[in-house]
Amino acid sequence: MRLPFTRLFRPSACLRGAIEAQRDPLYRLAFAWCHDRALADDLVQETLLRALDRAEQLRETDRLKGWLCSILANALRDHYRRQRGFENIDDLDETVLADQATPEIASESAELAARVRAEVARLPVGQRMVVTLVDLQGFTYAEVSEALSVPIGTVMSRLCRARGALKARLLDAAPDFARTEGSGRKVRIVK
Amino acid sequence: MTDDAKVSGEMQNAFIDGELGPAEWAQIARQSQADSRLRDELCELRATKELVQHAYPVARAPRRQTAPVGRWAAVAALCVASAAAGWLGRSAWAPATVELERELTAGATLREVSGDRILVHVSSSRRETIATALDEVDDVLRQAKRNGRGLSIEIVANSNGLDMFRADVAPFPERLAALRANYPGVTLVACSQTIDRLRERGVVVQLLPGVETASSALDQVVRRLRGGWAYVRA
Repeated sequence: MRLPFTRLFRPSACLRGAIEAQRDPLYRLAFAWCHDRALADDLVQETLLRALDRAEQLRETDRLKGWLCSILANALRDHYRRQRGFENIDDLDETVLADQATPEIASESAELAARVRAEVARLPVGQRMVVTLVDLQGFTYAEVSEALSVPIGTVMSRLCRARGALKARLLDAAPDFARTEGSGRKVRIVK
Repeated sequence: MTDDAKVSGEMQNAFIDGELGPAEWAQIARQSQADSRLRDELCELRATKELVQHAYPVARAPRRQTAPVGRWAAVAALCVASAAAGWLGRSAWAPATVELERELTAGATLREVSGDRILVHVSSSRRETIATALDEVDDVLRQAKRNGRGLSIEIVANSNGLDMFRADVAPFPERLAALRANYPGVTLVACSQTIDRLRERGVVVQLLPGVETASSALDQVVRRLRGGWAYVRA
């Protein structure tokens, strides 16, 4: 008996290598999104496995980075959905995850990088994704728009709000900024 | 935009990110020369951007295996060695094991497998992959039934593929139920290691009715191959 099982199995060795080579940049990005090294590692692993599994969907290899970031963003959203039962991406993107507000103690004496990370962690998820894709990955606004499946206008407004908040908290050092600008809903994640 | 128009925050960011066309860029550059406040704001935005960049140095991620080649290639090697030694007992299985070896170690693109005891391995949660696998399984079982031939098919799911057996996320639970109801030769086996990993992450795993568990997908595949089953990866 002959069975009609046919399947395109693996991506080429070249594409596999290109996907695997993105592990470190993705890990940096994932950490900037969740500020949890173990979770970042898991998200990146999940992203790479999904990418390898779906490699045939990638039509243009020069869009690999954006495609991987899109998978990573969905992996993080899935993670938060599973934790909190978010049904709407917009709800999630506008949410401040309260327990991530201080991944490191941002005291007066803390090093500047830790303060910056603490402030990035205070941003709503959607803003955090946009600002890190632009600043860490060097994405254009169009690439961010595609990776996160949001309009360019939303990318620009989120980036503006994110940088505005970071600027105020880090450069202007306005202690009451969070109270005046904290428009995102606060949700405590229970791990 | 006129020279005295206020430059919006969005445009300021677009300016420092190099997102503007030459005309818009020149306009804001000109304006910033005359407007010290705008100049300061642009400087602060650039500083903020640099702060973010320096806050996340490129770190080396922990190295983890993305390809199941290592462990599964061992299965392939076992199959080939077993076939050569007559361990599998039936020479008819040799072509299937050779195919398996090609698939797992050389990346074959297309394949066809023959046999009347077949293990279908699912490790992807991709809806299309699962749907295609179920279509094929359904076709083959129907054809075998029509011809009065017994056919056993065991679907083994692990990794992301476990989703197909999870009561809360299974994409086609009714199709699995129909397969079990119509064809007694169908068995469904979930990987316990995957279940354990999910539970460690706080995921509640409830399997569909009739789904059995094996200590691991790998163990189950080895067991079946030694028993003379053919292996197909969905």
